[in-house]
Amino acid sequence: MDTSHDLEGVWVFGDYRNYFQNRVTLQLIAKARDLADKLDTRVIALALGDKVHQWAMEYVAHGADIVLAAEHPDLKSYQVETYCSVVAPWVEAFQPQVFLAGATSFGREFFPRLAKRLHTGLSADCVALEIDPETGLLLQTTPGFGGELLAEIVTPDHRPQMATVHPGVFQERPHDPGAVGRILYPDVDVVPETRVKLIRSKRQQTRQAKLEEAQVVIAGGRGLGSKENFERLYELAELLEGEVGATRPVIGSGWTDKERLLGQTGKTVKPRLLISIGASGAVQYTTGILGSENIVAINRDPQAPIFNMADLGLVGDANTLLPLLIEALRKRV
Amino acid sequence: MNIAVCIKQVPDTPSIRMDRERMTIIRDGVESVINPLDYVALQAALDLRDRKGGEVVVITMGPPQSEEALREAIAAGADRAILVTGAAFSGADTLATSHVLAVAISKLDPFPDLVLCGAHTTDSDTAHVGPQMAEELNLPQICGVNEIHMEEDYLTVKRLSDGFVETLQVSLPALLTVTQELCSVGHLPLGDLQIAFSEREITQWGPEDLGLKEEEVGLRGSATQVWKLSVPPPRREGDLISGSPQTLVDHLIRKLEDLSILDEEDGYKS
Amino acid sequence: MRFEPTMKQAVIRRTARKYAEEVLAPAAVEMDRTGQFPQDIADEMAELKYFGLEIPPEYGGAGLDPVSYAIVVEEISRANAAMGLCVAVHNGVAAAPMYEFGNQFQRKKFLVPVATGKKIGTFCLSEPNAGSDASAIETTAVRDNKDYILNGNKVFVTNGHVSGTNLIFANTRPGEKKKEYTVFFVESEREGVEKGPLEELMGMRGNPVCPITLHDCRVPEENLLGEQGQGLKIAFATLNGGRIGIAAQALGIAQACLDVSLRYAKERHQFGRSIAQFGAIQKHLADMATQVEAARLLVYRAAGLRDKGLEYGMESAMAKLYASKIAVDAARIGIQIHGAYGYSKSYPIERYYRDAKITEIYEGTSEVQRIVIARSLMER
Repeated sequence: MDTSHDLEGVWVFGDYRNYFQNRVTLQLIAKARDLADKLDTRVIALALGDKVHQWAMEYVAHGADIVLAAEHPDLKSYQVETYCSVVAPWVEAFQPQVFLAGATSFGREFFPRLAKRLHTGLSADCVALEIDPETGLLLQTTPGFGGELLAEIVTPDHRPQMATVHPGVFQERPHDPGAVGRILYPDVDVVPETRVKLIRSKRQQTRQAKLEEAQVVIAGGRGLGSKENFERLYELAELLEGEVGATRPVIGSGWTDKERLLGQTGKTVKPRLLISIGASGAVQYTTGILGSENIVAINRDPQAPIFNMADLGLVGDANTLLPLLIEALRKRV
Repeated sequence: MNIAVCIKQVPDTPSIRMDRERMTIIRDGVESVINPLDYVALQAALDLRDRKGGEVVVITMGPPQSEEALREAIAAGADRAILVTGAAFSGADTLATSHVLAVAISKLDPFPDLVLCGAHTTDSDTAHVGPQMAEELNLPQICGVNEIHMEEDYLTVKRLSDGFVETLQVSLPALLTVTQELCSVGHLPLGDLQIAFSEREITQWGPEDLGLKEEEVGLRGSATQVWKLSVPPPRREGDLISGSPQTLVDHLIRKLEDLSILDEEDGYKS
Repeated sequence: MRFEPTMKQAVIRRTARKYAEEVLAPAAVEMDRTGQFPQDIADEMAELKYFGLEIPPEYGGAGLDPVSYAIVVEEISRANAAMGLCVAVHNGVAAAPMYEFGNQFQRKKFLVPVATGKKIGTFCLSEPNAGSDASAIETTAVRDNKDYILNGNKVFVTNGHVSGTNLIFANTRPGEKKKEYTVFFVESEREGVEKGPLEELMGMRGNPVCPITLHDCRVPEENLLGEQGQGLKIAFATLNGGRIGIAAQALGIAQACLDVSLRYAKERHQFGRSIAQFGAIQKHLADMATQVEAARLLVYRAAGLRDKGLEYGMESAMAKLYASKIAVDAARIGIQIHGAYGYSKSYPIERYYRDAKITEIYEGTSEVQRIVIARSLMER
């Protein structure tokens, strides 16, 4: 293919299973646009599935120069090994410099295996991506050591430079119906994974979409101390027409369902107001709430890192404040 | 059914403290523990073994003191433990780590029917090593499993993936990474700890035992490098209020009013 | 000289702490409120070998070393002093002498059920007129062919109400001028054993302390621990070791006082800052932390000597004397740091105060510990 030289730019894996997968892909295309301009190269989005034309069009409208598309019945369901059988040969053939994917469940499962097959480096859950002006290397900033620290990672000698990025970290570009791009369908040899069979796949019956779309989010942390105390948050959320989210220790203690998990391996929220209660502010959690327009934090420890990102910080015991707050709000309804 | 469980020793603290002057991690007074989800994987392996027979082997790559984690795993019921250790292994990224562990697993005799790992660790939290071992060992992988059922010669597993509840069948051998929901971890009997620490042997494998060259492991075998560590900058310059509970609630109510989430006078706006 | 725990001891501490924080700490509040002993938790602890800590595995125990034993008692007591008492007494002064002085038959018959926690053990020395002066006991054991007939009143029997196997100290030469002390295994279900009502105590609530009365209780010869007349020897040896458990218990309480006081001081704001930033509070916290650390070294040192088979009577007395004193101090100062909230039942520090006080009294009062220490000084 004569276009192969055009294809060595910045790649974005197209993940479109539901609304948020799609958004993260669009966000990454916007970021890839930015990186590609600095590298003087192109943005190439991938679209795999049984019918992908509409997604390919969408990616072009959001800034992709080229879409590499593959349509095959075996690509209908997201399967790591099957997808690797298509994408790995493409990478080997076209030699992209950078390859990005959303840190969705699938992205977090697919990209490590792909990186291993390509024998290249991968960084997880990046919160920033830049091009180093001197070396032209991709600077991948990721929260490391589970908390207070960010690591700047590079992949000096291996290609592509691969990274996953959590939804909500970057802003997508506006949909441009007039955008021009090419959609290519390279030859593919799909090798379906026969060792794993998908028996059933059911959309989870939860209120998670509401959490991600909520205008008010009440996020609870370990500092609440008990399941009973955590459950007060539902009452507060109801009064403010909001939704309840939780940090990982809360999920670990079984105080609420996993689908309420906020942060690195959970949901990213962007409400008008987020009230963080009894959470100290570990980076795994705060990556999920940084997009909030306003953050109010309640914590007993005035040194808690959560106060560094709060518009309003209240130093106090959540379990004393909550009943008072709920009572005050009830009076006003 | 023979099961290999990969575990990692992680610092026992929800968030690591940094020495902000020197940009190093404060390790004094921080104990190391088995990564919580690896403990779940171990428990699941022990449950499967107790029902189906076979043996559970725990493997870790780490400094010599990782022996502590392996002995704890033996106390929990693992049949044997392998410590993959050597100066050459240090500084490894996930590519190099998964290589060493995969080579160690492929050396197991018999080769395990199932490899289990925690879905992620509490320290670096990349969730890479499981899938990358599966790739090198040419095993099918399923990440984030929260239910495992042993059938004739395959497993039926469930997981939550991007908002879908998936039921999958996987042939053996296979690699699974597991989540908290899979099973609860019991408390260890003290007598079993005593035995694990006084009477049991831990197998040690270094680079030579695994036939690994220095350039394929540790820092040299890694594709990524850490250039810089930094502390995240404060995001906002907000007000920090202390005072009586009522004062704090008043501040919060005012904020709600400012944001028009509450009406200023007559209550509640939807 | 080593001050670091071994790998095993570190894991044992973590294991015991996890269990204590997850299971025993929540239970402590309920035990204190109702005074009820949680049998279901005791059964679980038995499965986990908390009732045979130092007993070798062949008799159903965990086979831990004395330092690990002290660590376990410390961690349990930090979360739940009443349960720490149950474990310290059961292991330290019931199971330990059963192992040390019991013959093969007795180890199998009496020790195994005790070490596996199927039967809870007691050590019945105190009587209405015999406390610090153990020689004043009035309980009698009279030989009758191959049996002994026991009569007497034992009071403040820790674990008494739930016990299965009791060690009873009795005078085997009643009526004679010179008493002879002998120890008997007495099963709770044996005819003539009567348990009185639960004591309503200031602290350690939930530990089933009660009096045990023996009324013409017939006990076979095979139930005699050690030899006839060995009673005082057994009592002193047992109390030497038992003090390590009580010292570890006091240490756990003191650590708990420090934990909650430090947390409270950081959280409580007055005059626009946390009270931990005030010098007066910092002095309290610094002293408390120093004392806890000093007590810890004394406790582990005594346990370490026991581990090596060396003399440790004076060191265990020092550990018990000091740890119990600083536990009471830490609780008292802890309440002061908490202010009025410290006096309220909504914070645990008032419970720690009530729990701590008895550690200066039982298994040898502080006054008696000083006698033991002074005598050792003069003998050495």
